[in-house]
Amino acid sequence: MSAGRAPSGGRIDRARSIRFTFDGRSYSGHAGDTLASALLANGVSMVARSFKYHRPRGVLSAGVDEPSALVTVLRGKVREPNVPATQIEIFDGLVTESQNRFPSLDFDFGAMNSLAGDLFSAGFYYKTFMGPVIGPLRGTRFWMFCEWFIRRAAGLGRAGHERDPARYERMNAFCDVLVVGSGPAGLAAAKAAAVGGKRVILAEQEPVLGGSAKWSGETIDGIEAAEWASAREAELAGMPDVRLLPRTAVWGYYDGNTLAALERVNDHKADAAPGEPRHRHWTIRAGAVVLATGAFERPLVFPGNDVPGVMLAGAAERYAVEYGVLPGRRIVLFTNNDSTYRAAAALRRAGAAIAAIIDARREISAGARQLAQEAGGELLTGHAVVATSGRKALSGISVQRYDAASEVLSGEPRQIEADCLAVSGGWSPAIHLASQAGQAPQWDERLQAFLPPKPTQNWIGAGAFDGAFTTRETIAEGTAAGATAAGARASRAKPPEVEAPELDAAPAPIFEIKAKGKAFVDLQHDVTAEDVRLAHREGFVSVEHLKRYTTLGMATDQGKTSNVPGLAIMADAAGKSIPEVGTTRFRPPFSSVPLGALAAERHGDLKPERLTPMHDWHVENGARMYTAGLWLRPQIYGLPGETVEQAYVRETRTVRDGVGIVDVSTLGKIAVQGPDAAEFLDRVYTNLFSTLPVNKARYGLMLREEGIAFDDGTTWRLAEHEFLMTTTTANAGKVMQHLEYYLDTVWPELRVHVASVTDQWAGAALSGPKSREVLAACMKGTAVGDDALPFMGIVHGEIADVPVTVCRLSFSGELAYEIYCGAGHGIHVWEALMEAGEPFGIVPYGLEALGTMRIEKGHVTGAEIDGRTTARDLHLDWMLSKRKPFIGSAMMDREGLVAPDRIQLVGVVSLDNRALNGGAHIVEELDPENPRGSVGHVTAACYSPVLGKYIGLALVKGGKARHGTRAHVSDPLRKRFGPVEIVSHHFFDPEGSRMHG
Amino acid sequence: MVEPVSPLGPAHRPGRHGNPASGIGVTLSETRPGSIVEAAGWPGAEKALIAAIRKATGLALPDGAGGGTTAKSRSAFGIAPGKFLIVDQAEGAAEALRAEIPIETGTVTDLSHGRTALRIAGPKAEWVLAKFYALDFSLPAFPVSAGRATVHHDIFTQIQRTGEDQFDLYVFRSFARGFWTTLCHGAEEVGYEVR
Repeated sequence: MSAGRAPSGGRIDRARSIRFTFDGRSYSGHAGDTLASALLANGVSMVARSFKYHRPRGVLSAGVDEPSALVTVLRGKVREPNVPATQIEIFDGLVTESQNRFPSLDFDFGAMNSLAGDLFSAGFYYKTFMGPVIGPLRGTRFWMFCEWFIRRAAGLGRAGHERDPARYERMNAFCDVLVVGSGPAGLAAAKAAAVGGKRVILAEQEPVLGGSAKWSGETIDGIEAAEWASAREAELAGMPDVRLLPRTAVWGYYDGNTLAALERVNDHKADAAPGEPRHRHWTIRAGAVVLATGAFERPLVFPGNDVPGVMLAGAAERYAVEYGVLPGRRIVLFTNNDSTYRAAAALRRAGAAIAAIIDARREISAGARQLAQEAGGELLTGHAVVATSGRKALSGISVQRYDAASEVLSGEPRQIEADCLAVSGGWSPAIHLASQAGQAPQWDERLQAFLPPKPTQNWIGAGAFDGAFTTRETIAEGTAAGATAAGARASRAKPPEVEAPELDAAPAPIFEIKAKGKAFVDLQHDVTAEDVRLAHREGFVSVEHLKRYTTLGMATDQGKTSNVPGLAIMADAAGKSIPEVGTTRFRPPFSSVPLGALAAERHGDLKPERLTPMHDWHVENGARMYTAGLWLRPQIYGLPGETVEQAYVRETRTVRDGVGIVDVSTLGKIAVQGPDAAEFLDRVYTNLFSTLPVNKARYGLMLREEGIAFDDGTTWRLAEHEFLMTTTTANAGKVMQHLEYYLDTVWPELRVHVASVTDQWAGAALSGPKSREVLAACMKGTAVGDDALPFMGIVHGEIADVPVTVCRLSFSGELAYEIYCGAGHGIHVWEALMEAGEPFGIVPYGLEALGTMRIEKGHVTGAEIDGRTTARDLHLDWMLSKRKPFIGSAMMDREGLVAPDRIQLVGVVSLDNRALNGGAHIVEELDPENPRGSVGHVTAACYSPVLGKYIGLALVKGGKARHGTRAHVSDPLRKRFGPVEIVSHHFFDPEGSRMHG
Repeated sequence: MVEPVSPLGPAHRPGRHGNPASGIGVTLSETRPGSIVEAAGWPGAEKALIAAIRKATGLALPDGAGGGTTAKSRSAFGIAPGKFLIVDQAEGAAEALRAEIPIETGTVTDLSHGRTALRIAGPKAEWVLAKFYALDFSLPAFPVSAGRATVHHDIFTQIQRTGEDQFDLYVFRSFARGFWTTLCHGAEEVGYEVR
């Protein structure tokens, strides 16, 4: 005899059979079954092994509160561990397996842990992982060695290593009223809010709406409660401003009435529809919230309360009524409250034999007594279960006379045969979201439960969440809450008639039956009542410490069934009342949330990439693309068989000898306009811009407030009140923010607008001694000779019928021009320049050649303007105007920033004819075995075609004073050591004759 | 005149895509306006700016954050206090605006090449956009012609509602291809057509 399908009943579709596998074995269930109900229907009562002791465990609950029946769901090779079997809807082809067992669930080596139970008591990890402090292993890492084995012996499921191909999405929603929970209270609230014309979202974590109406067996307005719920659902679904979200767990309540919810869109399907996400992570911004989250039943703590077959009474009732499954054929119920009697009668009606109802109370209500008669079996009041028998499945229980007031057991234990023990220790309102959103919950002495705190945000409670346990009350509360949340008056319509047994949900204050044997408080983490008492004896006073020391209430179920019993046992040990001991504050998430859902399209799908207007041309012409921040830029345009070094050396030589072209569209570009634009630039740059004539450009340097170099670039004056500022690619966004910050908060009186025009302009730099001839060959509408277009001059004209603006400036050190046109014309102008350059042997060049030429010239970039260096460190002190203040000028002369031993920009030449690496240290004395004594580091390195040597730029203490001296690079990570000569950073054409030519 | 090249490149695949069972939830297209211009007024000069925009384009903007207006081939909407985005299918709006907006009133920035205009239209437009933006796209909260400046991941977007179920999105050109690809992915479940 064991659990199995009832001959009739349940809200499953018996006409539809579904095949699934558990631990490699195929089973059959029906549409509407959860994995838990389907396994019980197949007589499978042991579904898991426990966390520490590897004890056989079954199904305790029927919902999200499940601590024991955790399984791994497999989709292909993708594993999702620790999913409660009570939350998995079965579908054809579902594959699941049990966890924390080896080699099998039935025969598990780890069960040996049970023999050493006392060793694994509260605080085991804290006591164990300290390492030996005495004895021969003192000071060794022996325990760290053991840790691997210990951690493997305990634990929950195992995560997989395969990439999860599922799609996850985020969703934003706004509503006037969010109703959480769709039991009678939630359905009533949603309707009351919706008839007020408000936008309503009703979120329900289960697949079917209705909550307790699905299994209460009551009648509402003359129809079965489940039918009533279906009718309400249909009504809501037909309202235009109502969104129903089944399979959606609201798991976090944040400031500003913002709530987080997880919708499991297709976990219940064999295949996803095209484009359908697996989960949606909802961010819901609600005007008001109705919390109708119901209550969790809690177990009683007694020895052997974890054997498969011990189940919450409400869950047993639910399996019978909703799923048509009998959790046992011969059932004993053990309770401290009236609600269990309804379950007993429901189980009897479904076909189970009720062996006994054991009530720890001496007196019970008339309603309960009547249901007990209906259920049949013995009624033993003033009794308690003191032990269970059976290891992998319950075979019976022992019961003794019990006095609740004195907690004394008396008389001889009596055995009762049973294959299911349905227990109830009372109900704990699901106040998690309210606790997240507010203050400490309040203890209710009558209900022996924590009720929600006073709202600190705009929420209203309804139903069992609020301590109202009759359906009549919950519907009335829900209706009132919905109306209030919608800002409407409460309806005067007559509340529905409910036919239900007269029962009192208030339990007797009994949490634990103290008898011999392991009595579990937290089934998920194998925390026993004795562990809680041990923690108390060891001095843990605060509940927060108790939680962390014993791990009570941690992990995936977050102690939904164990928190209150744990607190009660702690309070008892401390000789205090439960409210004196207090409770831990609930934190998000209410139930587990896959990380994939939080990452959503951040992972795998959208990686924001920025493409220049000429991107497709580069790719088509053999460029190897390189990621520079978000941008993709050509690194080299390699010829077949060329190495990166060969390619950039060839490109560099071509530029130095003839002409080359490079895409500079990524440079940050900011339009600075307004009557005070020149004044503004004088303040943000270290040098003067108000003196810059129209159609001229100037190189500028910005400092941060504390005097450190920030960014550099050229700024062009296009008109009296209009400038085009260019920034480094990397700092474009930061500079824009910096400028906006100053305009908005520091100098609001300046009439200046800034706008990002980085993407407006395609930019190409034409460099090399033949660049002028190439430009002249294709430029119309303007001359480009030295007179018309001197160094730092600007002209406007047309190339291939497209308007362009050209500035003569140079990063390469050669005669060079930057040509800008509208981004949509970028490829067109680029191709025209390539065509014009063909007779001159033009080549496109990439970042490597660009970098090589700037190193040869000693120009600085972000590698040197690295947030630590000053203008003086970089030999840019000539740019620090003494005629005006500017951002950073007040702080740049501080002692630390002008100290002679600061690192300064120098050049380095490799003396062993081997390449240098950026990031390598510069040392005076080389000692590869014991690298030390860094005096600086290499910031950039290349092979210099003009010098025929490997060179680099470096920031070195003392800087100029070391010119002509020898040092070494020390790069232990890449094992590169060798001699270098420190030289001026101007390797090539220090007078600038080439670019001025 | 040389036709500007779309930044969408090979990511623009005309035709029907996504879940065939869903029909066409949204239609996605690039509207390719000839002019996208930002006009910004100095504090206190907002009304003068609105009048100048009206003179230059015929578009009568409401005074207030997020307000906008649409006409047959042009539209405008507020993107920040005293800042407006003006869009015209024809070229030359920047010059026309510059002629009417003196430096004492404000400034004009031509963004015709710098922003890419993408249109999402159809019964599921609000649903698809809600995947990307923390904005209330419902009609009462976001009326026709109104505009919003917002951000999706690192991609800045200005949005104007140009119909009951139609929105025009303005994104930085360099991000446009990546953003378009993501928009298409987001539209897959509802079925979409690219025009």
